[in-house]
Amino acid sequence: MSIALEWKKTKRTGFFLTFVAGGLLAGAVPILNMMVREKCYVGRKEPAVDIILNANWQLMAMLTILLLLVGACMLYHTEYADNAIQRMRTMPKRECGLFYSKCGLLLFMSIFLVFLQALAIYFCMVHWFAYTAEQISVLIYNFSYTFILLLPSVFGFLLIASVCNNMWIPLGIGVVCIFTATMLPTNNRWLSLFPFALPFQTYVGKDWNTIRMDLLAAVVESMLACIAEGIILKGRRALA
Amino acid sequence: MSLKSLIGIEYTKIRRSKIGVILLLATCILWIPSIVNADLNFTMQAEGITPENNFFIQGFMAMSWFMFPATMLVSTVLINQTERKNSGMLKMLSMPISIWRLCLAKYVVLLTLAALQIMMSVGMYYISAAIASQTQEYNLLLSPLFVCKEAALIWLSAIPMLAIFWLLTICIQTPIVPIGLGFASIVPSVLIINTKFWFAYPMAYPFFFITSEYGKLAKNLTTTQAEPIPWIPTAIFITLVCVLLSCIRFGKYERR
Repeated sequence: MSIALEWKKTKRTGFFLTFVAGGLLAGAVPILNMMVREKCYVGRKEPAVDIILNANWQLMAMLTILLLLVGACMLYHTEYADNAIQRMRTMPKRECGLFYSKCGLLLFMSIFLVFLQALAIYFCMVHWFAYTAEQISVLIYNFSYTFILLLPSVFGFLLIASVCNNMWIPLGIGVVCIFTATMLPTNNRWLSLFPFALPFQTYVGKDWNTIRMDLLAAVVESMLACIAEGIILKGRRALA
Repeated sequence: MSLKSLIGIEYTKIRRSKIGVILLLATCILWIPSIVNADLNFTMQAEGITPENNFFIQGFMAMSWFMFPATMLVSTVLINQTERKNSGMLKMLSMPISIWRLCLAKYVVLLTLAALQIMMSVGMYYISAAIASQTQEYNLLLSPLFVCKEAALIWLSAIPMLAIFWLLTICIQTPIVPIGLGFASIVPSVLIINTKFWFAYPMAYPFFFITSEYGKLAKNLTTTQAEPIPWIPTAIFITLVCVLLSCIRFGKYERR
């Protein structure tokens, strides 16, 4: 199973179009906010990247995580819709490979989303603020950190989508998970490590220990999702 | 076949879907933070709102902003995908029944699911308010008449939004696009309610309505009030156009 094959499967589903439109919309959030409320942000003492991220990141992260949920549901819906998954299972390939290929594709789309958002923030910094080279490196660190924090969502949503035949069930569970993430108190360190709450974090204004813990949690949660997928597939085969 | 019978058939189709479980789970998660942080309701003197009103309004604001529109989007996927699986739609279209009535019956089911979600929220509100009243030793329960009136108005304000979600699902065959568009339209509602043109954006109606109610209940807080003109005519126009277009477009793909 390869990522290219998964890409071909999504050809006529509007998958890429949705990610492009969603990415552009998420990128438009800081630009529109700066255009409308320029006076509220320009002239502050904090670094430009901090101002822009603090003002817009919650909305941008929300759009990103929702896009990942929709994308994950769609990737498995193409398999389940007309029982294509049964044909995939008859092939001389490991079923886990299908999951990892889909993860690869969704991770690629996450990089694309993160890149579009970083470009939008960079545009705001150039257009409205006097930025320094140091802030550019903070921006790069921030979006690298964001990408790693998106990993548990990518693996988690695909895990949920792989388990359910009907598209609306993983979609519903995903919505509940995202809603839970928005309801969790931000001051509780342990609750902020909830897999779907991690993407709402930003790199700016955090000490190294917190960042290291977030990254470690993201990697561990992603690995747990992969292990869970392996166990589910084995269990499903054993019970079939 | 009458519209009533068709609605009955549509309910039967989603009977085993377990959508109620998803709606209930979301509602439970909605009220847990309110119970845990019930003491914060007593620190709202600056806004001039009573603790019991604050408990009620904060919960319903959290519901109207994201949870309610998102679960309704999931419900549209449920209603639509149940019919598309195993060519169920083709079988329905081959029967001697009015396509318009069939489309309307499905829309009525969607409205019912919205009412169910709101009723669950009201039920959970009373349970959580009763628990919080015990822990805080203060009566946080509001009159059922007031709560039901607010809940009914939230449901009414959601009708145009549901019509748009339904139209998107009918018009666009591939499921990812209407869902993506739906989610993308929910998120900016928090910004749209602060603009002059909120009345032209149905996805923001439930959240706008509850925010304006917050302004009424909090004496020291000024929020934009829900003026019936031009809101109601615009909402009726959008709903009628969307429902009409849905009925016209319903099953077009299968009838090609």
